[in-house]
Amino acid sequence: MIAPTTRKDLMIVNMGPHHPSMHGVLRLIVTLDGEDVIDCEPILGYLHRGMEKIAENRTIIQYLPYVTRWDYLATMFTEAITVNGPERLGNIQVPKRASYIRVIMLELSRIASHLLWLGPFMADIGAQTPFFYILRERELIYDLFEAATGMRMMHNYFRIGGVAADLPHGWIDKCLDFCDYFLTGVDEYQKLITRNPIFLERVEGVGIIGSEEALNWGLSGPMLRASGIKWDLRKVDRYECYDELDWEIQWQKEGDSLARYLVRISSRRNSRGPYENLEIRRFNRIKDTEWNDFEYRFISKKPSPSFELSKQELYVRVEAPKGELGIFLIGDQSVFPWRWKIRPPGFINLQILPQLVKRMKLADIMTILGSIDIIMGEVDR
Amino acid sequence: MDNQFIFKYSWEILPKKWVQKMERSEHGNRSDTNTDYPFQLLCFLKLHTYTRVQVSIDICGVDYPSRKRRSEVVYNLLSTRYNSRIRVQTSADEVTRISPVVSPFPSAGRWEREVWDMFGVSSINHPDLRRISTDYGFEGHPLRKDLPLSGYVEVRYDDPEKHVVSEPIEMTQEFRYFDFASPWEQRSDG
Repeated sequence: MIAPTTRKDLMIVNMGPHHPSMHGVLRLIVTLDGEDVIDCEPILGYLHRGMEKIAENRTIIQYLPYVTRWDYLATMFTEAITVNGPERLGNIQVPKRASYIRVIMLELSRIASHLLWLGPFMADIGAQTPFFYILRERELIYDLFEAATGMRMMHNYFRIGGVAADLPHGWIDKCLDFCDYFLTGVDEYQKLITRNPIFLERVEGVGIIGSEEALNWGLSGPMLRASGIKWDLRKVDRYECYDELDWEIQWQKEGDSLARYLVRISSRRNSRGPYENLEIRRFNRIKDTEWNDFEYRFISKKPSPSFELSKQELYVRVEAPKGELGIFLIGDQSVFPWRWKIRPPGFINLQILPQLVKRMKLADIMTILGSIDIIMGEVDR
Repeated sequence: MDNQFIFKYSWEILPKKWVQKMERSEHGNRSDTNTDYPFQLLCFLKLHTYTRVQVSIDICGVDYPSRKRRSEVVYNLLSTRYNSRIRVQTSADEVTRISPVVSPFPSAGRWEREVWDMFGVSSINHPDLRRISTDYGFEGHPLRKDLPLSGYVEVRYDDPEKHVVSEPIEMTQEFRYFDFASPWEQRSDG
């Protein structure tokens, strides 16, 4: 019998655009030496829809349904940033009640996004069960969104100067019930996952990013906070009414995948805690008499499509659950923007992937890719 | 306001050759430079102790077809240490090449590929300059204003030939353009 000879060539494997994880259509060309990864090249562009060019031909009202399709899991953030840009350009003030509604919606969306990050992350690693648990909670959030906006996922809710409609009666109580229930849910995940030895074996020490390196590569969001840098745009920029709420930045020092997981889980717990205590009570007390006058009620709350963007440039940003989501907006004295540049967090965070997977095993690619938390809808736009 | 710190300091320190014009506005400060100098300017901003702009947030291209140097490349930068943001802009025309800023800011690699793909502004000595978002074999630079929104070709799967073919575009419906000049606005200056 002839002994098989081992070949010394490197093997190039294509983890093609179609694959069962929920990141989207991402193609990875991986060069392997046995099971060690030599190089990994992500190829993007499979979901490119020309969002930026479309924005140059649509007014803001017409463009709002498009923006939820960038990051389709944390949809309120994309809408928030789309209306924040023109609001800053036109110096438009948002009523306090609308600001509170926005913050509640944004935080619910953040919880939803981190939930749907966790499910596929665990499924990629091999644990199928958390996927069903997160969908159970996400359905509750969908119900809340549907009651307020009419749509489960692609709500067209934010408008320039506020939100489209006020919350229905009894929504706040339902939201408080959800918050109480969700705390038990997060505890369940912690018990199931965080000290699980199999999970720790897979995630601890995998994909370490130092803090200097994280800044150099332009990372943002949980990736930066997991590497020891306490940078959160909600604290730094103080937009909407976040400075009235009392909460802390969640961060870790190690910079590996476990740290990123911990940051996201604890930021979920964090999102619901303080805001529900302070804000919802405050909500019931706000009367907003000035904004209930005739003029404001019928004229300034409903911007017509002919809202003109002045000839200025502006960069607005929000702290999306994936990182810093930004819009660089150049207005022309017309209803269509001249340039609408989307700065997606996933696009930048994905750049560090080839760096991190060198010298790792093949199975670690999925762990690292999952812990970076990307959505191809926003990466490709 | 924190943004003014980097701005004022760099205006005083930087050689005038590098910075053509600096503008301060409530929506963010910008400085304009020549195409020869973005690399030096960004290196300075990154490494100098009082500016420490370590994060390159965004590199973006803008197309102004009416100008002679039609593309403008905008670098949006952030300093986490001083919590300041600054924008650096250069203008280039179709054949000017810009130096890449990949060595100080590794995240710029993909952004510059996108500027090349969408606008046609290429970089000298870029480590990896290829198309990034458009289709394999796409011709043209989509975000320029002269390429129409619907493009020139459409692709479809051709069953007899068993592969995807590209054909000139065929639209069954006219391109809808809504002119939003409202009758009330004409009375507004009065």
